[in-house]
Amino acid sequence: MEQSKGKIGIKEFIALTILMTGTKLADDTPAIIYEELQNAGWIAPLIVGALSIIPIALLIRVVTSYQDKGLIQVIDHLFGRFIGFLIIFILWGISFFALIIDTAIYTDIIGTMYYSRTPTIAIYALLMAVCAYGGKKGFEQIGSISWAVLPYIKVSVLIALVLSFFQGQTSYLFPILGPGEWEVIKESSLKLSIFGDFIFIFILVPFIKSTKDFNRGVWISLCIIVAEVTLAMMIYVVMFDYQSVMMLNYPYHELIRTVQLGFLTNMETFFFPFWLIASFVRFTVYMYIAAMLFGRLFKIKEFEYAIPALATLVVFVGSIPESPTQSIFEIRARLIDVSTPIYIILPLLIWIVAKFKGDLKHDKAKESI
Amino acid sequence: MTKQKSLFKMLCLLSFLLLLLSGCWDQKEVEKMAYVVAIGLDQDEEDENRVKITYLISNPEVGSLAQGGGAAGEEPPREIISFTADDFITSRNLANTVVAKEITYDLLRILVVSEDFAKNKKFLRWLYDATKEREIRRDIKILVTKEQTSSFMIDNQPLLETRPHEYFEMLFNRGKKAGMVPSSDLLTFFRITEADADLFAAAYGTAQQNDNSSGKNKDPEQAIAGELQYGGETNTVQYAGSALFKEGIMIDTLTIEETRLMFLLHPTENPVAILTNLPDPFNEEYQIATRIRPNGQVKFDMNLKKETPSIDVTVPVIIEVLTNHSGTNFAKDSEKRIKLKESFEDRITKKFEELIKKTQDEYGTEPFGWSLVARKEFLRISDWESFDWMKTYPDIEINVSTEVRLGNFGRQGEMLNIKDVRD
Repeated sequence: MEQSKGKIGIKEFIALTILMTGTKLADDTPAIIYEELQNAGWIAPLIVGALSIIPIALLIRVVTSYQDKGLIQVIDHLFGRFIGFLIIFILWGISFFALIIDTAIYTDIIGTMYYSRTPTIAIYALLMAVCAYGGKKGFEQIGSISWAVLPYIKVSVLIALVLSFFQGQTSYLFPILGPGEWEVIKESSLKLSIFGDFIFIFILVPFIKSTKDFNRGVWISLCIIVAEVTLAMMIYVVMFDYQSVMMLNYPYHELIRTVQLGFLTNMETFFFPFWLIASFVRFTVYMYIAAMLFGRLFKIKEFEYAIPALATLVVFVGSIPESPTQSIFEIRARLIDVSTPIYIILPLLIWIVAKFKGDLKHDKAKESI
Repeated sequence: MTKQKSLFKMLCLLSFLLLLLSGCWDQKEVEKMAYVVAIGLDQDEEDENRVKITYLISNPEVGSLAQGGGAAGEEPPREIISFTADDFITSRNLANTVVAKEITYDLLRILVVSEDFAKNKKFLRWLYDATKEREIRRDIKILVTKEQTSSFMIDNQPLLETRPHEYFEMLFNRGKKAGMVPSSDLLTFFRITEADADLFAAAYGTAQQNDNSSGKNKDPEQAIAGELQYGGETNTVQYAGSALFKEGIMIDTLTIEETRLMFLLHPTENPVAILTNLPDPFNEEYQIATRIRPNGQVKFDMNLKKETPSIDVTVPVIIEVLTNHSGTNFAKDSEKRIKLKESFEDRITKKFEELIKKTQDEYGTEPFGWSLVARKEFLRISDWESFDWMKTYPDIEINVSTEVRLGNFGRQGEMLNIKDVRD
């Protein structure tokens, strides 16, 4: 398609990455982390962020040493037709499955927290329709819309967090180590794939103006995401205390329903639209990536045309589980556990094969990163 | 050509958005809703497993500019209905047998519970329904009433602020600032009940005035709601003192004075300024009117790892002297000022000690939020939980002291010596 020929610059790329991963602070990801880590939940993003440096560094090393090749092309090149197909199939499986359960969760948030009388299928269909429309518009459009909405979304989140910080008590963060230092490290490492989206970002390399932009963009967005998720997780505890926060399904939404600004009470009507836009952007990117992988698997050159069909499939599969708040929570927690090893092993594997093939050698002299 | 085309597209899009604006399933019209501002919960007299629910429904049209003329102007500001139901979720439909509009909790501000029901073990189950209901927020307030909530709501007829939603909002804000009632929100109630360490203090109110003689000559600070005697033409409802909840069950009430002391001992919930009387050290006949303000954070020195754990608490306050009936000229005499300061310190410290002793002996834990400070002494949750604050608290050695800093001596420092004048 014509539109997708355009490339995006560093700021659009950072905005897109932040919206894709950072929005997780406002769904049930915090609830999954608090379940094991109690009031030390805020340490998890720090540890996960630190550990994520390894796979990201490895992937950067490999992927940027090929000119204009994304992760898909690199895998094809390194592993050949058969194994490459298999790996991409696994990646597609994860991304598509994540898309289904995440959209189901978001639909559930909208349904249980805001529009309780609207049929789920209507919310779901509308959500996916918007994402499919955005995805079909092409990558350049997604990039510029991310950059355009990012300031508003982040300012609204920041206002919510600052307001609740002043209404809460920092002493809830104590005992500071929560369930104990080893437990914190162990459980956080198992939840590594909450930042697993970073693997999929490497698929987008061909759309970024230069590899240098990409390189810097990835690190900058990682820092911002770690900072904001940590801050949000801290403030949920500061607001609710750990016993209560562990019982909440969607801490961010309980938070924006609880905060007050002077005489203004029902504040969620102010925060909700921004969250909604962030979710739209997030799933548009997911949708696009899933479609790209799908296009590679089944040799569809103009994969954008597959997006509406995939979106329809998402709606139908996603509305299957009954009482989604709990059942999808379980599935999602398990998906995070299952995809964690892949998040570590795959980059390592790619790096080893690339090294073995000698593809990294001639770069060493050229760039000294 | 292309410009026209894009304009056409734009118009199509805009008209489509217009269609969306008309709303869909969750559309609500203010006119068609009955806004419940307060829910009253009582134990049903006959069936233990049912509750008597009272709705205080606010009329949003009263007090608005749209009021003038027409039928809306003559509508009363509120409507009250009581009936028996299984819980306050299903009761919304039951209420529709009487109320024509759709019941909504969107503007719910306060949950009123009768003292009898709050002392019931089963009370907590009904209260936790609030966490399930989508429209109920966690920032709503809890009020405990002495009598049945249904009669409380009917008797509660504020004269100058007739709109119930505004009334409760202002009442709680003012009560907290003056230190008469605790802030008591649902969020804090859930948090304290779930953390299982402190006591929760809820606001206490009643519409019944106690007429028995014992209350009449009482120091007003030793009173709780219903014991304060007043005349004039006003609302019969009083809000004063607090109801204490231990593990989700109400156990006792605190007087106004105890509530204020509790505020002063609390590490975070500070009152803005308390107006109160303290005995005059220079002449026992008189009382000195003072304004007490917290002077920075309450200081804690906790030593919990010892055989008998100990806590040293220092409460810094600023006291301003507002009246001086004995005519002692302490504004210019430093020795007298020191004596005054010491007398204040002794007096307040003694009051603190009495209250702390009461919490240790009678309640087994405290409403001051000290467990939050104690938590900082521990590194892991398991250590904290095995320390078991609620079990350890009665045995902790607590030393409390007050650090008084004298503020201004009123607008005019010196005082006429009445004795000299009459000479």
